[in-house]
Amino acid sequence: MMRVAVLIKQVPDTDRVRMDETSGTLVRDGAGTVPNLLDLHALSALETWFPDPSALLVTAVSMGPASAETTLREALALGAREAVLLCDRAFAGADTWATAVTLGAALERLGPFDLVLCGEKATDGETGQVGPELAVLLGIPFATRVQEASFGDGRVLVTRQLEDGPEQVELPLPCLLTVTAAVAPLALPTLAGKRTARRAAVTRLDAAALRLDPTTVGLAGSLTRVVGLERPVLRRDTRVFPPGQSAAGVDAFLDACAHLGLIPGPSEEP
Amino acid sequence: MNDFAPLTPELVAELICLLGEDRVHTDPDRLRACSFDEVAPRFWKAPRTAEAVVTCRSTDEVSRLLAFASGHRIPVTPRGAGTGLSGGAVPAHGGIVLSSERMNRILEVDAGNMTITVQPGVITSEITAAAAEAGFLYAGDPCSGDASCIGGNVAENAGGNKVVKYGATGANVLALEAVLADGRVTRFGGKRQKDVTGLDFVHLLAGSEGTLAVITEITLRLVPWCACSVDLLACFPDTASAVAFVPRIVRETGILPAALELMDPTALALGRRYLRAGASPEDPDGTGTHLIIQLEGNHEELLDTELETVGGLALGAGARQVYVASHRHARERLWRLRKAIPEAVMAFYEWYSKEDVVVPLSEIPALIDEVGDLCRDLGLRCATFGHVGDGNLHVNLLAPAEHPDPEGSLERARLRLYAHVKEHGGTLSGEHGIGLKRRGYIDLFLDPAQLDLIRRVKAAFDPAGILNPGKIVPE
Repeated sequence: MMRVAVLIKQVPDTDRVRMDETSGTLVRDGAGTVPNLLDLHALSALETWFPDPSALLVTAVSMGPASAETTLREALALGAREAVLLCDRAFAGADTWATAVTLGAALERLGPFDLVLCGEKATDGETGQVGPELAVLLGIPFATRVQEASFGDGRVLVTRQLEDGPEQVELPLPCLLTVTAAVAPLALPTLAGKRTARRAAVTRLDAAALRLDPTTVGLAGSLTRVVGLERPVLRRDTRVFPPGQSAAGVDAFLDACAHLGLIPGPSEEP
Repeated sequence: MNDFAPLTPELVAELICLLGEDRVHTDPDRLRACSFDEVAPRFWKAPRTAEAVVTCRSTDEVSRLLAFASGHRIPVTPRGAGTGLSGGAVPAHGGIVLSSERMNRILEVDAGNMTITVQPGVITSEITAAAAEAGFLYAGDPCSGDASCIGGNVAENAGGNKVVKYGATGANVLALEAVLADGRVTRFGGKRQKDVTGLDFVHLLAGSEGTLAVITEITLRLVPWCACSVDLLACFPDTASAVAFVPRIVRETGILPAALELMDPTALALGRRYLRAGASPEDPDGTGTHLIIQLEGNHEELLDTELETVGGLALGAGARQVYVASHRHARERLWRLRKAIPEAVMAFYEWYSKEDVVVPLSEIPALIDEVGDLCRDLGLRCATFGHVGDGNLHVNLLAPAEHPDPEGSLERARLRLYAHVKEHGGTLSGEHGIGLKRRGYIDLFLDPAQLDLIRRVKAAFDPAGILNPGKIVPE
């Protein structure tokens, strides 16, 4: 049986995330929470890659407050057999490194795992760093932005979704993969899954249980600090060309594109 | 009723003097764009194009415009976002299209009285968002809420997914400011939950399709926000078992869903094709019918128990599978197919008729059987979906590309459908309105006395007949 750890994060349920200008952190109050979408795609991918659920033992792991138990129950409803919440005040304020340290300690204790899976990034941080950092800490190879994977003979062949096109990489197991939304359509839990998840136990582990020095986790263990916030200024320069001046409008549009370097300028034309 | 004056260049110049150059538009592209809605124009025989589009910015400007139009006998067709499904915003007699696009401010959120007051051009989803920001729900949100304007919602008394629990748009309107045809401004209703002082003009105007007055301000009822909600997708093997299950939900569990939607096999297949989605594992033979059942509550544990009760009942009633969406991502995934169906119909069929009939819940099974029969007889297909919880079914009659007489067959199908609907105690439109598309059939459902009353009410509000002429009743 293949052992898989799926990392799943609870994130604010909003498309308009507000920031605390003083602390540089997200304002989470009143936003509600949802499971991180790409982590759900990671769980959904397992259903696609391994149609026989009895071949897998999936452990869902989340670091977060007590309320993150809801997100773990969603993972249980989607097929995870175990759920573990890493919950301790000492974990609060963690940057990506301190998060990876905590998750790494948990996976060392709960493992070994043949495969570690998570979304490419979380919608609240948008860093995409935790997966690779965790792989380095665990000493296993990793591939980011995975959109396809096929498993066999202790190896996995993945297709990564990169800006300049797909890239194929083969990795030995165990390894860590971070996935994009293209990896699988979002699976929906069944009523039976929800029933099971509602009654299942969620294991809680704190810093002591993971034998973690409190100075290495949370805010204290973070290597980065938000020292300031800057917002990009979006500027629109709209010109309206009334009926009858369409040709002038097209010329002005082409000039503007050339000025921005999007198309060759008149002097560069062959 | 067709003796309207043309909007001559001299009158356009006068209108510009009255309202300003930036309020009056005669660009042919703009005129064409404001001369149809979401209904295929072939449904009316003599389509007209607006002669001017006017974008008023205040009640006072609307008042001056209507006084001008009354004085010159120029028709005025109020228009929101143009998302209507009855030809209600189509200028049947040309003249002026009065667009609400510039009257688009949220004027007040009154938390104490649980109301929100808006101008008619506000997009419905913006009202929903503003209400949510204040901790309330605006429940009269139709399926087109991301695009439609509240003025159009009120004028058509739009329904939507949550009618089964909260009622249609009109049920959520407390007060209206309106400009009468002669330019006088008046207010109906107020921020009060009860009112029997005089006639209920608020709910006469809601659904009057812009034929009685122009609405310039709307006060809507807000309701407490439910802290949690969950959507179930129950996959039944056939339409009969799905429809038979619907009344059992309330009767046997005592739970009133917030939404209760049906998608029949053809609707599901169209939606899947449109989204390029694979076949459903619960529906290997393509005969399945799905129900979406939305439950709301304030206590997660209690809601979990309720979803298990309703979901268990569905499985006991023959559902092959029940899926559960308890957060936004899952909900969006679950509803994507349902929301794709109307677009899919237009994408894959040139000849179709989107019907909006309503029957008592107990009559739905018989009606669905009859629709199947009539489509078989006429060589048509039918995709039925919609608000099965309140009896409002969007019966989409579809003519295959190879059909020898699509127009004639669709017309015969509509007449047979309407006859069946009437036999079952139903009616012509539940939420799309009559407009131009269905005015020729209203006499199948309303007797001469009622039609006469409608005409007399119209004449009382609008003696010159300039407000959205040619709608609801035949001329």
